[in-house]
Amino acid sequence: MAVLEDGTEKRSGENGDDMPIFNAENLQSNMKSIYYSRTFLSIIGGVVAGIWGFTGLMGFVFYFLIMATASLGFAAKAKFSIHKYFDCWNRILVDGFLGGLMSFVLFWTFAYDIVHIF
Amino acid sequence: MGVGFVVGVLGCAILVHAAYSTIQYRGVLKIVEEEFSGPPMNVVAELLLGLALCMWAGLAVPTKFLSILPDSEENRIVSLPANLDFMIFNHRGKVLPTNTELKLKVQDF
Repeated sequence: MAVLEDGTEKRSGENGDDMPIFNAENLQSNMKSIYYSRTFLSIIGGVVAGIWGFTGLMGFVFYFLIMATASLGFAAKAKFSIHKYFDCWNRILVDGFLGGLMSFVLFWTFAYDIVHIF
Repeated sequence: MGVGFVVGVLGCAILVHAAYSTIQYRGVLKIVEEEFSGPPMNVVAELLLGLALCMWAGLAVPTKFLSILPDSEENRIVSLPANLDFMIFNHRGKVLPTNTELKLKVQDF
């Protein structure tokens, strides 16, 4: 695997293999940006679900709705030309989908308790 | 960073206000002894507005996406970075006399 010694690590393929070359440092930065966004939106979604009074399955449905909207938002932020910023669609659609679930449930119960119980 | 931040704070403030309204609404329901079926319409509208603002802030505030293609405008590599193989130090050491036959003299004190 040839690595170009010019500061930005590039991933390249062997001869004969047709693997795409991309700037891994920028890809990592983009992935971090998505991770922060998803975490923040999970927390906000949890607070909204708690205030709204969702219990049980409705809350999880709400979480998936929030994550789906977030994925749509990332696609829009990348101006729908995904291959310019990421190496495959999975990165923005599937990665980190369940990562915010714990934060969502935490803030959901937190907000529900504050608003509806105490 | 500026505008997105303000929008996010505004969204959170709207959510806090919606929470307070819901708490008061529940208080009223307790007095009238009715069941809580859902927050009133204006609170729901507030929640959705706060959610929309926070979502916009959540997408706009983290760093914008950087292009990963090696041939895009902002990825042009212009200089070789800190790689010792390519560093050239042009210093005045080259004019110092080098005599590889020099030996240390033993001195008696």
